[in-house]
Amino acid sequence: MAVLNFFINQIFREASLFLGIIALVGLLLQRKSVSDIMKGTFKTIIGVIILTQGTSILCNSMGPLSNAFTSLFKMNSTAPLNPIGTDKFIAQFGSQIGIAMLLAFLINVLIAKFTKIKNIFLTGHHLFWFAFIFVALGVEAGLKGSGLMIMSTILLAIYITFVPALIRPFVRAVTGDDSFTLGHPTVGLSIVSGILGKYLGNKSKSTEDIKVPESLDFMREITIISSMAVFLVYLVVGLMVGGKAAALYNTNKNLVVYSLLQGVLFGAGLTILLTGVRMMLAEIIPAFKGISDKLIPDAIPALDCPIIFPYAPNAVLIGFIVSMITSIITMIICAKAGVFAYAVLPLTITCFFEIGTAAVIGNGTGGARGAIIGSGVAGILMIFLVGFSIPFLKHTVSDFIIIFGGNDFSLWSIIVGAITKFFGLGA
Amino acid sequence: MPKVKILTVCGFGVGSSMVLKMKIDEILKQYNLAAEVITADIGTATSTPCDLIFTSKELENNIRSKVKVPVVTIVNFINRKEIEEKGLAFLEQLCRLK
Repeated sequence: MAVLNFFINQIFREASLFLGIIALVGLLLQRKSVSDIMKGTFKTIIGVIILTQGTSILCNSMGPLSNAFTSLFKMNSTAPLNPIGTDKFIAQFGSQIGIAMLLAFLINVLIAKFTKIKNIFLTGHHLFWFAFIFVALGVEAGLKGSGLMIMSTILLAIYITFVPALIRPFVRAVTGDDSFTLGHPTVGLSIVSGILGKYLGNKSKSTEDIKVPESLDFMREITIISSMAVFLVYLVVGLMVGGKAAALYNTNKNLVVYSLLQGVLFGAGLTILLTGVRMMLAEIIPAFKGISDKLIPDAIPALDCPIIFPYAPNAVLIGFIVSMITSIITMIICAKAGVFAYAVLPLTITCFFEIGTAAVIGNGTGGARGAIIGSGVAGILMIFLVGFSIPFLKHTVSDFIIIFGGNDFSLWSIIVGAITKFFGLGA
Repeated sequence: MPKVKILTVCGFGVGSSMVLKMKIDEILKQYNLAAEVITADIGTATSTPCDLIFTSKELENNIRSKVKVPVVTIVNFINRKEIEEKGLAFLEQLCRLK
């Protein structure tokens, strides 16, 4: 009993150690060599630690900007955001996240084994982040212990099983075969783009007929364009608040130098975060895939969105540029009109991956026109999604949704948050 | 005898490169070749010593100019046949040399 208690209270509570154990079991089941097992287990544990440090840098790099935005648009600062914070949340609820990942994946495998829904969710980092969001929503609803575990597992299982099935026909329209579907928070935006493309697009002219200059190739690197975008936003907002910039940004540096440093800090945080995610998943995902390969040979993998990028690389760039424009315009209008309670920031990562994918899907159903209309509308929706989802995560991980939201993370936060609120759960 | 090191590269170095890595691992196993396959984003890929790089069409230009090792471009990351057709010759050559 003492041993069991030790495991539950000490080991399982540490996200890094718990995921290390999952990796260890996976490696043992695959009968890897002792050297591989040692390496894989430790790399997973170190990866989780790197990941939380990366998120902390990333969120800190955007903090001063939130202050400036709040002041610029004279937002209601009587209710400042005060979340637990992503890094602390992962440290505190890491094992709930890990258990939800594991159980929901097993449910996904069982459903694929015994029903006609054959997709298996293999995008490891999004399995992690969705688990994280659903646990956060559970905590927001005031759940604890087994209640929290059951709710987050069921929601995660529903998402990873059914949502990739919804986007599957649209993926087929792009790739021409049925070899994979998407397991990514782009699904909501991509379906909108796909439907708009179908009715308003024109299939005869594809984005890939357009000649995109090679000098735009640097835009295909997310760390570079994110850094540049954050730099520009800091600079422009700094100029708009004028004399108050130094106080709001809490710095005595020159505005251009400070903005540039914040921009590259964001890029650095993102790089660290990705390194951590990569190390954390390097062993776990092949183990998960091994399980599904053995049990369901005809499974359709639900994969990360860039897998679809090579089918229409120009559409990805067009989607990014169009949605950055429409989303920033929407953001400014909403801020002036006071639509949201909390500051919404430009979402470069979402514009790149989620809406880049939405543009590829829009191109698949409606050619270049479909891609442009689809991604333009997706950019507008993204701002409303992120803006309305922040309040539902305000005690837990709103700092995460401000940077990575505007997609299915936000959509499901709004749906689940509204339902739990309706039943009078949470604060 | 140092292990052959292969990088699979995508935009984030997390998702689709992992899919490609698992496919290459399968191929290596089938042909009884030994190599370490690691996922990477472009920044990491161009600054990490390795013997061979697999990546996608839209990223190849960014990588090819910056590295000296062979770069194999794959259009469909889950199409095993394409990966074998384009990459197997490199894999066999490298893993035999070392």
